Amino acid sequence: MSSPTVIETMGLSKLYGRSHAVRNLNLTVRPNRITAFLGLNGAGKSTTIRMLLGMIMPSEGSGTVLGRRIDDPAESVALRRDVAYVSEDKRLYNYMTVEQMIRFTSGFVPGWREDVATALLRRYELPAGRKVRHLSKGMHTKLALLLAIARSPALLILDEPSEGLDPRGVEQLLETLVAQCAEGTSIFFSSHQIEEVERISDQVCVIHHGRLVMDAALDELRESWRRVDVVLPGGAHVGDFEMQGVERVHTRGKQMSVVASGNVDAIITRASESGATAIDVTPVGLREIFLQTIDLDTSGEN
Amino acid sequence: MLFRLTDSAGQPRYLQLMQQIRHAIESGALSDGDQLPSIRTLAVDLVVSPGTVTKAYSELEHEGFIAMHPGAGAFVCVSRRARRLGDRVQAARDRVDELIGELRDDGLLDDEIRRLFEAGLLSAARTAAKR
Amino acid sequence: MLWYKVWLETRARFLISLVGMTALCAYRVYDGNHSASSSIPISYRYFILHSGQQLLSVMWLVAVTLLMMGGLLQEKVTGSASFTLALPVSRARMMKVRICAGLMQSALMIVVPWTAMYAASYFSGPAHSLDQVLFYVVLLAGGGAVFVGTALLISSLVEGTYTAPMISAGIVLACGNAPKSLAFLNPMDFIGGRDYLGPDNLSNGPIPWGHVAAYMSVAALLIVASVKVLERRDF
Repeated sequence: MSSPTVIETMGLSKLYGRSHAVRNLNLTVRPNRITAFLGLNGAGKSTTIRMLLGMIMPSEGSGTVLGRRIDDPAESVALRRDVAYVSEDKRLYNYMTVEQMIRFTSGFVPGWREDVATALLRRYELPAGRKVRHLSKGMHTKLALLLAIARSPALLILDEPSEGLDPRGVEQLLETLVAQCAEGTSIFFSSHQIEEVERISDQVCVIHHGRLVMDAALDELRESWRRVDVVLPGGAHVGDFEMQGVERVHTRGKQMSVVASGNVDAIITRASESGATAIDVTPVGLREIFLQTIDLDTSGEN
Repeated sequence: MLFRLTDSAGQPRYLQLMQQIRHAIESGALSDGDQLPSIRTLAVDLVVSPGTVTKAYSELEHEGFIAMHPGAGAFVCVSRRARRLGDRVQAARDRVDELIGELRDDGLLDDEIRRLFEAGLLSAARTAAKR
Repeated sequence: MLWYKVWLETRARFLISLVGMTALCAYRVYDGNHSASSSIPISYRYFILHSGQQLLSVMWLVAVTLLMMGGLLQEKVTGSASFTLALPVSRARMMKVRICAGLMQSALMIVVPWTAMYAASYFSGPAHSLDQVLFYVVLLAGGGAVFVGTALLISSLVEGTYTAPMISAGIVLACGNAPKSLAFLNPMDFIGGRDYLGPDNLSNGPIPWGHVAAYMSVAALLIVASVKVLERRDF
């Protein structure tokens, strides 16, 4: 691939004992866009991110972040200069004040934007002289975000960024992420909040049991996934609809619901050939696409 | 500018945004020569990825509705081609409004009407592809 | 900036220990000398000094164990390890700063109280020889270095904010109660003087630099190990 990537992993794996936390991961994240990383708890999201940042050594495979190798200690330090990370627990140093945390972090980053830090300090209403241990959870999260964003990084990696934020905080977070992306920062974030992912992401990657099971542009998913609800007076037979693009078929009496990731017109043709008296086509939301991709039965019947 | 994007349409967001901007131009809310918000501003206002706004603007430029001047921004400049397109869309809208009115008179609900159009478009696409 | 962090992290512990130790030791020496009349033999003054050293040694070992608390593994418990490890700094460098700061603080906690004790002794009677004071300082620093190294290594191996210092303290206690047959290896006995102090609590020969060097090497090995262990660890 000749086009640049901000994150690229080749066969990345992490073994704990006999079980794979991450298995043969080939992840590609392109620059200047917002990429969401979805997966159930324990699917391997955090482990992957930690390997990218040099906190965990891969068992197998390799990867690069901003073109630098993640398994080489010296290159890992170099890549961390241009990558800002907000971890899931977002905890900072209890014994420092907000101001001291800002001063501390700015010392490591030549590209530190004091104006951005000051603006965010005001916007998030963070008390400069208060010790971190006395900050509420929401303020803690906002401070962690401030420290990441004022670094003006080339890549921003966030693990569950909206956790602990109230609705206004979430809105501010999404606006900030979008603004950062417009400034040229690439964003890679993991989240359980599907609605937020749907609002701002360009690309969606899904990890399940340590494997990458989906890597698609959100717009493409919106265009191609459809639910086709069909009424077949002659009775609905699941077998008739085993065709390309069909993800799940669900029947109850004469009604059939087909969730498809593509090839929708062929499915409609099959339906009308089977004598359907009603064919309804509706879009499929990201939550259902995600659950379907990781093979969960959303309504319990099949 | 007041735009709003929703997720229920099952349609790429940049298409939604394009429709809204086109509508704004056609309805006169935006006139020839007006400046559109910068990509960053619009992205933050709508809380949507800047990529979406960029795609929408660049498609609209391709269709001739706007022109992007590097360094200056995006401006409405409805070209002749787009104007013709706009007239056609306007005429089509009148026909659709009429049809919807008739279907409603027949007792169909809006949801049913929407689904009919969706299904119709998809089978029409298939037919067109076959041709 | 790492120095700034270590300082903010340890300054309360360090300053309280330093002031406390200095005050107590100085008082012990001053009071000891003062309550004795001026006609007592000089050996009694050295007895006072020796008791000052003993008091200092105990407090110093406690203080050093507490000071070496912290580090990346303990940050894992409080949750800030992710933030620290994401900084563009190698783990080795982080450790080195922490180690240097810790060693400097440990050294200051010997030198400052001893300066105070010497001054207290100076102002309450005939001055003691500086050589003798230096001897005591070297005994404490030489043997103590091993315990500093141990505390650092334990803090790189054991998670749990208080578990690590407790284990280090346990090791100190074990050394304090070790069988006499191992006395020549025991750094605790070295601090106490072992065969280098005569019955009058004075040094009976030159400073045992060879032994000091041996202990310093052991301490250095422990310190290097503590860095290596941390470099390889998954967080």
